[in-house]
Amino acid sequence: MSGVPSPYTPGAQFRRNLGLYVSGTVMLGAQQWLLAQRDFLVKAAVDALSAARASTATRAALLILGVSVVAAVVRRGSRATILTGARNVEYELRAALLARLHRLGPSFFRSMPTGEIMSRATNDLGQVRLLYGFGALNVAGSALALASALYVMLTVSWRLTLAALCTWPLLALVTRSFSTRLFARNRENQEALGAMSTEVLGSLAGVRVVRAFAMEQAAVAAFERSNHGYLEKSLRLARLRGLMGPVMGAVSALGVLVVFWIGGSLLGSASPAARISRGDFVAFWLALLRLTWPILAVGFVAAVVQRGRAGYARIAVILRAEPELRDGARALALPVRGAIRVRGLGYSPPGAAPVLRDVSFELPAGGSLAIVGRTGAGKSTLAGLLARLLPTPRGTVFLDGVDVSELPLATVRGAVAYAEQDAFLFSTTVADNIAYGFGPSEAPGADLGGPARGEQRYAERVERAAGQAHVIEDVLNLPEGFDTVVGERGVQLSGGQRQRVALARALGREPAVLVLDDPLSAVDTRTEAAILDALEQQLGARTVILITHRVAAASRCGQVLVLDAGRVVESGTPDELLRAGGLYALFAEEQRLERDLDALDGAVPSSPSDGRAPAVEPADAAAGGQA
Amino acid sequence: MKGGGREAALRRFHEEEQIERAHDARMLWRLWAFVRPHAGYLWGWLGLLVFQSLLGLARPLVMRQALDGLAAPGGTARLHQLGLLLAGLIVLEQAVSFPQSYWLQLVGARAMAALRRRLFAFLHGLPLAFFDRTPIGRLVTRVTNDVDAIGEIFASGALNAIGDLLTLVVIASIMLALDWRLSLVAFAVLPPVALGVDFTRRAIRVAWREVRAKTARLNAFLNEQVTGVTVVQAYAHEVESEREFAVVNAGYRAASMRALIYEATLDAAMEMVSSVCVAAILWYAGFRSLWPSVSFGTLFAFVVYIDLFFGPVRNLSARYTLLQSAMAGAERVFELLDVPDRDEAAPTNAEQSEPAAAGAPGTPERPDAPGASPGAALELEHVTFGYRPDTPVLHDVSLTVRTGETVALVGATGSGKTTIASLLLRLYPVRQGVVRVLGRDVRELERTELRRAFAVVPQEVFLFPGTIASNVGATEREPDRDRVRQTLESVGALDLIERRPGGIDAPVLERGANLSAGERQLVAFARALYRDPPILVLDEPTASIDSDTEARVQRAVATLTAGRTVLLIAHRLSTVRSADRLVCLHHGRVVEEGTHAQLLAAGGLYARLHRLHDTRAAIESRAAAVTAVGSR
Repeated sequence: MSGVPSPYTPGAQFRRNLGLYVSGTVMLGAQQWLLAQRDFLVKAAVDALSAARASTATRAALLILGVSVVAAVVRRGSRATILTGARNVEYELRAALLARLHRLGPSFFRSMPTGEIMSRATNDLGQVRLLYGFGALNVAGSALALASALYVMLTVSWRLTLAALCTWPLLALVTRSFSTRLFARNRENQEALGAMSTEVLGSLAGVRVVRAFAMEQAAVAAFERSNHGYLEKSLRLARLRGLMGPVMGAVSALGVLVVFWIGGSLLGSASPAARISRGDFVAFWLALLRLTWPILAVGFVAAVVQRGRAGYARIAVILRAEPELRDGARALALPVRGAIRVRGLGYSPPGAAPVLRDVSFELPAGGSLAIVGRTGAGKSTLAGLLARLLPTPRGTVFLDGVDVSELPLATVRGAVAYAEQDAFLFSTTVADNIAYGFGPSEAPGADLGGPARGEQRYAERVERAAGQAHVIEDVLNLPEGFDTVVGERGVQLSGGQRQRVALARALGREPAVLVLDDPLSAVDTRTEAAILDALEQQLGARTVILITHRVAAASRCGQVLVLDAGRVVESGTPDELLRAGGLYALFAEEQRLERDLDALDGAVPSSPSDGRAPAVEPADAAAGGQA
Repeated sequence: MKGGGREAALRRFHEEEQIERAHDARMLWRLWAFVRPHAGYLWGWLGLLVFQSLLGLARPLVMRQALDGLAAPGGTARLHQLGLLLAGLIVLEQAVSFPQSYWLQLVGARAMAALRRRLFAFLHGLPLAFFDRTPIGRLVTRVTNDVDAIGEIFASGALNAIGDLLTLVVIASIMLALDWRLSLVAFAVLPPVALGVDFTRRAIRVAWREVRAKTARLNAFLNEQVTGVTVVQAYAHEVESEREFAVVNAGYRAASMRALIYEATLDAAMEMVSSVCVAAILWYAGFRSLWPSVSFGTLFAFVVYIDLFFGPVRNLSARYTLLQSAMAGAERVFELLDVPDRDEAAPTNAEQSEPAAAGAPGTPERPDAPGASPGAALELEHVTFGYRPDTPVLHDVSLTVRTGETVALVGATGSGKTTIASLLLRLYPVRQGVVRVLGRDVRELERTELRRAFAVVPQEVFLFPGTIASNVGATEREPDRDRVRQTLESVGALDLIERRPGGIDAPVLERGANLSAGERQLVAFARALYRDPPILVLDEPTASIDSDTEARVQRAVATLTAGRTVLLIAHRLSTVRSADRLVCLHHGRVVEEGTHAQLLAAGGLYARLHRLHDTRAAIESRAAAVTAVGSR
């Protein structure tokens, strides 16, 4: 799936399933050949009836029955085969998409938002599937049907065939002109729909402002304008569609009429060369009917091919995107001790001003470092660089004395566990979320009904991690304990609970280096202290880098680094910094005053932090709308 | 934490999506309410549909006539005559076809526009709490995609099923009339076909339902992988995730292949069945030696009718599918329309409230209203309030702003300052205590009247997609352009705006993304000022504004507050010194009141807030110094 750059071109995709497409096409050919035989059998039967040779007619009729059944079976086979090819292409592309997305870095995800990626993985992939399924089927099917029908028609009478074909140029012309205009009107229609969606979204997202200014009527009036615009556009489209049916119908009926007229004349023709039998006439008619769909399909198929290619190109943008981070080749001596050295580290996101400049520090294995600073000081960028989630410049970050950019990504990420501030949990059970970092050797045995001992060890490890993160009681109070499914539709955990589950995930990894990016911002101070106690006990066993805005938490670390505007402005032990009276001391003062204020009038209970934050939040967002 | 429990929990979680609800006739009846105003077109359409179907079915009869007449003398001339008749029939049929299809679309599009309008207006009448718990994206989908799904009944001609059914009946009758023996032979294949089709269609429906569930699972998985890609990478979980995805992906492929194979079977069977019918009548005609009692013309007409017969049969299943998805859309739309909560801001008593006294802005209209303090423009009396009943945000708050006074509300984040603004506007209903505006209980005021009595500048500015002018004059359908200009001028933003291409007609993108924070703030000020309200509630912006526009914003605040009753919700203490009075909130209670100097001297909450403010200012200035050094 990964490794060698895969040739993702429409042709290569096709070739990989060539066997299916070839056998499908062969079956389509067989079916069309059978249908031609059916037409001749009908001719034989009708002629036999006309000549009162009843037994010949019944025999032919039975043969028609047999041929039709076989043709149907072959038809089913051909469709199933070619559509399987399309589903295979879809499967491969989807798997390739995920594999590629997993390797891409933040600058890619900044350039392409999730909604856009999902739209390509669903809508565009759907168009590609249509190209490889419906498109391929109809290109091959229409060509073969045309050949088969023309064969029958020409066998019957070249004169009548010519007559039947005389309306085709007209039909092609009409189809073409209509489909061009349909395309334009369809787009207008989509644009009007888009404008209306934007209007609804804007109006509802700003519903607080609408209420505050009593703008409901103006909002409805503005909506009415776009609603009416959409109505107008869809009626314009309807008028064109309504016109297309009759015009196409009239043209094709004209063709039918010509065949009927001339065919009728040929039936009674005096010239033996031109004369056709009644059976000929019926067979010709049946062959002509078989052409209705292929002709209509030409326009559809052209659109399907066009859209499919465009969709493929949009998917290929993702498949061909270059990962920012590359594996290094050096091996690291095991076990990893966890000594971190940072030397002159700077970082600028592509096309933006630097967010980190010339950061240096040294942390021995088993040491602890707090990184403190205001929002936007560059703390999270530093964490991402240490965990090798961002492209770390060469010669700046060293793990056990080895430049991390020379190590395989998996080695660094295996040694460094990273817990992020906006705890992202997967929509699976709590246990699975915590066990996420255990590594493949300790995957839950449940899937395979693995040995009970392994399962128990796994359970114990999950519980230990949950205990260290002080989330075990919360989890046991959930409806199904560790088997409770978290996530969108599952039980909603509070912000603090989510953070602690994410912390348990990082702790459960039992890493050499723990990078915690403000993982306790939504946890109340008492729980935070308990968690920090648990972390302190592990010091020595692992290196801890704690990014925090709380001085109380930072004061427990051996060293403190104060960042501002991407630079280290202060560093030392917590006590040294407090005495120095710099930024750190001001933070300490600010937080002391905040605590003070909070404690004032103790009559009012106040521990909102670990609660379901959104419920309290509208206090400040109520009149403001959502940014 | 046994494996079984985990499995069961996950299964329940994913199966939730498979539940499919049945539709009912009530849904159609509710839709009818929107279609009824256009019923004339609908009946017209139905009449034309019947007429057109009959015309189409007359064609093979004319052909039969012509073919049978060929053998007779003068047959060719007759053929040509009947050919002309045939041409006439075709022209008429196609001419009727245009109004037939267009009228139906007209009915559908208008009915759906009406439904959308109703939905939209309905949404704007829902209490704000509804929006706190419902994702906006879902509501947008209801108004756009779901209504469109219903409209497909008309747009894609699902209603033409009526015509299809009619066609089937008429064809059957004609065939029986032409030759009942041949007809019975042809129809003999129908019962097994009908059974087979019904069985396959059921299987297809089940299969597609599974495909939909698998698709949802697939997309949810992929979406999660993309949003959580950092976690996947940080835990080096790529390979396992891809393995897990392969299972989901393969499950989806298997489900869709099942559906496709059923569909391919149905397609092949439908394709085959007309051939089988033709074979059956040929066999029967030969077997019973019916010839020449069955004429060639009749035989040919049968071949044509059989082909015409199976078209509608094929369509019916596709139309049924469309109807189902339309009903699913209707169910979601009507479910929303059934939300019982209404914004309680409507007047409680039926008697019409009098319009606000426009001539004397700021003067209480009924100074004798019970309990109202004389001269109070805004008043809260013993208000206790929470967004959730169990977590109060305000405790027993009493507060008065007299006409012409500037009062600043101060307090830490979360102390309830902004909530007070929401209650004055009656964005949320107050159950304990009284809120009065211009001396009248807000519950008795009509909502438009109430909200016109004062303007609010929210803390976080929200701009609508449109133009600068449409945002400034947002309260009117057609903003008065001179007034817009004048207003922008008075907040000192006109020159900034006129510098943009288009001036006051310059586009504003969603959420004002193409304006700077300062510009957005100034536009919001202009919006508040546009109506020249007697009372202003100004929720100070917390967003950092570039120093260039900061000065303009400060000047604009001075313009806004001059000569008005002002409630200033202060997030930074630098602006409150000039206020006539400060009210300090703490954990939802009023703890102090007085002027800046008085409160500072008292050494209470305000003094502490002020110290905190000073510390923060020190942090800012120190940080600014660092940045200055850095950029040198």
